[in-house]
Amino acid sequence: MSASAPTSRRHEAKALAASRRDALLRRARRIRRTVAALAATLFATAFLIVYVQLASGHDPALVANAAKRRAASTNTTESEAASSDSSAGARQSSSGSESSSASEEASSGNSAVTTSQS
Amino acid sequence: MHTLGLDILATAVGPHLFWITSRAAGIAALLLSSLSVCVGLLMGGRVLRRRNSDLRVAHEALSLATLAALIVHGLTLLGDGYLRPSLGDIAIPLLSGYKTLWTSMGIVAFWALAMLGLSYYARTRIGVQRWRRLHRFAALAWLLGLAHSLGEGTDAGQAWFLAMIAFVAVPAIGLLLMRLGRSTTITTSAPTSTSIASSAETAGVRQPSVAR
Repeated sequence: MSASAPTSRRHEAKALAASRRDALLRRARRIRRTVAALAATLFATAFLIVYVQLASGHDPALVANAAKRRAASTNTTESEAASSDSSAGARQSSSGSESSSASEEASSGNSAVTTSQS
Repeated sequence: MHTLGLDILATAVGPHLFWITSRAAGIAALLLSSLSVCVGLLMGGRVLRRRNSDLRVAHEALSLATLAALIVHGLTLLGDGYLRPSLGDIAIPLLSGYKTLWTSMGIVAFWALAMLGLSYYARTRIGVQRWRRLHRFAALAWLLGLAHSLGEGTDAGQAWFLAMIAFVAVPAIGLLLMRLGRSTTITTSAPTSTSIASSAETAGVRQPSVAR
């Protein structure tokens, strides 16, 4: 009898430790799942915002490019303006300085956009 | 109704899908990394100390999610028909001709975050204290990433983007300043310690008793 008491206490302690460890692992798994869901939600939300912004013709890069083209077309002859219509698909960044490659592409025929900004 | 539909879909999105994906992944990475920095700084602080194991798991998961988002951010740019960058352009600093400074800043931030983050799994080999000192530079890498997004990001001038970033970045910067202030106080109260000599190293000094 005296030997079984410490043994049972040891079993209880082990069971308690195991249950605490399980609880810890369960909580860790839940946190990881929450973070994964959060990351997916953030990505999907950002994608949706950028998509709608671009599809509605309000993308900052494309709008800036369209405005630049409009300004350029008012200063050129009608035939030059007609040829610049084909450069609608190029983009440039809305912030910071513009790179030479961006301006080169802006004047090349890479059409993908029919912006509603007017 | 048809006219309304045509007005809404004013831009053909198809050719820009890679670009949109890259932008979305970049935004997600910035938000996740800001949250990760917040949680990391909370771990070292005296706030929420009782929940430290939960914070550690959250910090690790957020960091891994950030790295995944950054990889998507870079790799999807490879498919962009406008920029047409090479693998070197998105992986090696100062190689890209497009906004070289901001792009390089982003690349350096990514490599720094990847190395300082993933080195966690080799911290026993590196030495826990040494790793801890190195890991403090992750906050610097995050600041580089923040500068990259504000300097080069297409949406950097948009109100929704700034609000979204401010929501997570401002608390992180506040916690970082608090930590720097606290470490300065510790440094001035114990100036004889040689291990906390440089100001970069002193950011986020913790008591040895809580070191893992």
